[in-house]
Amino acid sequence: MRRQSVILGLLLGPVTLFLGVFFLLPLLIIALFSVLTPGLYGGVEWAFYHWNYGRVFGWADGITEIYEPVYLSILFRSLGFAAMTVGICLLLCYPVAFWVSRLPQRWRLVFLFLITLPFFSSLIVRLYAWLLILKPSGLLNGVLMATGLVEAPLEILYTPAAVVLGMVYVMIPFMFLPLYGAIDNLDRAQVEASLDLGATRVQTFVKVMLPQTLPGIMGGAVIVFIPSVGNFIVPDVLGGAKGLMIGNLVEQQFLSARNWPFGAALSMIIMSVVLVVLLTAVTRARKRSDTR
Amino acid sequence: MKMHSACVAVAFSLVAGSALAEGTLSLYNWGDYINPEVLTKFTEETGIAVTLDTYSSNEEMLAKIQAGATGYDIVFPSVHMNDIMLKLGLLEKTGINQHPDFKNIDPAFLRAKEDPESEYCLPYAWGTVGVFYNETVTGPVASWEDFFAIPEKTGGKITLLDDMREVLAIGLMANGKSVNSAEPADVQAATDYILSKKAAVSAFTYESMAMLSSGDIAAAHFFVGGNVFFTETPNVKYVIPTEGATMYQENICVLASAPNKENAKKFMEFYLKPEIAALNVAQQFNGTPNVPANDLTPDFIKSNPNINVQGDTMARLQIFEDIGAALKLYDRAWNTVRTAQ
Repeated sequence: MRRQSVILGLLLGPVTLFLGVFFLLPLLIIALFSVLTPGLYGGVEWAFYHWNYGRVFGWADGITEIYEPVYLSILFRSLGFAAMTVGICLLLCYPVAFWVSRLPQRWRLVFLFLITLPFFSSLIVRLYAWLLILKPSGLLNGVLMATGLVEAPLEILYTPAAVVLGMVYVMIPFMFLPLYGAIDNLDRAQVEASLDLGATRVQTFVKVMLPQTLPGIMGGAVIVFIPSVGNFIVPDVLGGAKGLMIGNLVEQQFLSARNWPFGAALSMIIMSVVLVVLLTAVTRARKRSDTR
Repeated sequence: MKMHSACVAVAFSLVAGSALAEGTLSLYNWGDYINPEVLTKFTEETGIAVTLDTYSSNEEMLAKIQAGATGYDIVFPSVHMNDIMLKLGLLEKTGINQHPDFKNIDPAFLRAKEDPESEYCLPYAWGTVGVFYNETVTGPVASWEDFFAIPEKTGGKITLLDDMREVLAIGLMANGKSVNSAEPADVQAATDYILSKKAAVSAFTYESMAMLSSGDIAAAHFFVGGNVFFTETPNVKYVIPTEGATMYQENICVLASAPNKENAKKFMEFYLKPEIAALNVAQQFNGTPNVPANDLTPDFIKSNPNINVQGDTMARLQIFEDIGAALKLYDRAWNTVRTAQ
C-alpha cells in the first residue's frame, strides 16, 4: 500500500509540478493583476483597484474609469461567433467522420493523416493563403467567374462570413478527431437491431446513435468553443479588424493601451463565462443521457 | 511583413555564424525597417555577427522589454517611446553625440525631450504616413475627404491602418486639432468623424500594399516606405493629404540590459556614415536625419516631393508624443470605432 502511494507520487509529481508552474502560477498572476492599479507606462502599481471590473459590469467613478456596455456586447458577440463555429464544425464533421469510419483500415489512416496535415504549417501562413483565395481577384472568384457562376466578384473578404469561414477552417480538426473516436466505437449491432425492430432511420439516429456519440460531440464542442472565444487572429486577418472580438480587446490592452490590469480582468471574465457555459452544457447533456 | 523579416533574421544568423570570434550584436527592430545590406556590410567590416528580431508596435516592444525580455542590445523606438523608455530607466547612455561624425546629423531631429543632446540615442530614420492611390481608378486625390469619397464615387475600395493613434489622428487632423490632443471633446469629435466614414472603409490592415498592386483595393492609408512597391507603376501615387498627415521618427537606442554594449556603440558609429544611411534609404524609401546622406539617395526618392518632403508640406506634418494617461481616451474611442456597425 505504502509502496503504491510512493509510486503514484512519483508518477504524478512531474505532471503536478509542471501544471503548477506553467498553468496555476500564471493564472494566479492574472487574477492578482486584474485587481491592481494600471501603471502609466504598462505594468502594474501595487494598490488595490476594482474599477477594472467596474468598467465592464456597471460601476465606475465616471472620471478616470467610465462604465461602457460595449465590453459586454463584444463578449456576447464573441460567444455567438464561437457557438456558430462549433455548430458548423459539428454539421460538417459528423457525416464525414461517419463516412471515414466505414472505410477500409488503410484509407482510414490516410484520411486521419490528411485531417492533421494543416498542423504541419503555421496558422498565420494558412490564414494569408485564405486571404489570397478570398480576395476579389483571388482564386475563388477567378474560378466562379471563369465558369460563369457569378458575373461580378463575390465580396467575401473582410466580412463576418470570412471570419466564420476562417474559424471553422482552423477548428475543424479539433472537432473531427474526438467525433471520429466516438463514431468509430459505435456499436453497429445496436443500430442494426434498432432498424430491424422497426425504428425509422431518424428514430435510430436520435435514440441509438446520438446518445452513443454524445461524449465525442461534447468533447469536440468544448475543444472548439474555448479557443474560438479568444481567437483574435482570424478576425484581424480575414475580417479586416472591423469587428472587435474579446480576444482583440485583450490583446489591445497589453499591446497598445498599456493597461495590463484591464487586460487581465477581461481575461478573468472570459475564463469565468466560458467555464459557466461549459459546466451548464455538460451537466445538461449528462442529465439528458441519464434520463434516456 | 513579419514573416519576411523572420526569414531575413535567420539568413543573417547563418551568414554571420562564421564571424563569432568578434562577438555578436542583437537588434530588435520594426518588421522590414532596415536594409539587410546594411547589416551584411556591418558584419563584413567589423566581424560582428548580427541577429535581428522584429516587433510591430512600440507598445509590443515596451511590453516585452518590461516583461523581462533580455539578450537584445539595440531597439528602435519612436521618439515618444524613446522618452518613455528613458523615464523608465531602460536605456543606456552612449555618448554618441561626442563622435566626430555626429556633425552629419541635422539638429532638427534631436526630438526626444528627455535626451535633447543625443547623449543616449541616435536619430535613425523618419517618414510620413499618407495615402497611396491608384489614379486610373480614383482620379486625383489630394485630401482625406477625397480619400474617403473614393468608394462612393468610383466603387473602388479603401483601407486604413490597423493602428489606434494613426486612425484617430485622421479624425483629429480633419477637425484641425493636434494629433496629441488630450481634450475629451477633441477625441470625441475625431471619433465621430471616423465613425461617419467607417462604412466606406473596407478594412483596417497593414497588408494593403499587395492588395493595391493586385487591384483589389483602390487606395490605402500607409507608410511612405510602401513606395518601394510602386517604382515601375506611375499610376499608383503617394500623397500627403492637405488636412495634414502624421510623421514618425525612430531612434537607435542601446538598452540598459544590453549584453554587448561595445558592439552596440560600434553599430551606432557605423550608422553615422552617410553612405550607410543612404544605403538604408535606397531600400526603405524614407527620410534620413543624416544631411550628407540625402545627396547620395536614388533619383526616384530625391525628386519626389511627397517622399523627399520640403518646407510647405513639412508644415502639414505632426509627430506623435507621449500623451500619458490620456491614452485611455484613445483606447475607448478606438473600441467604439471598431465595434460600430
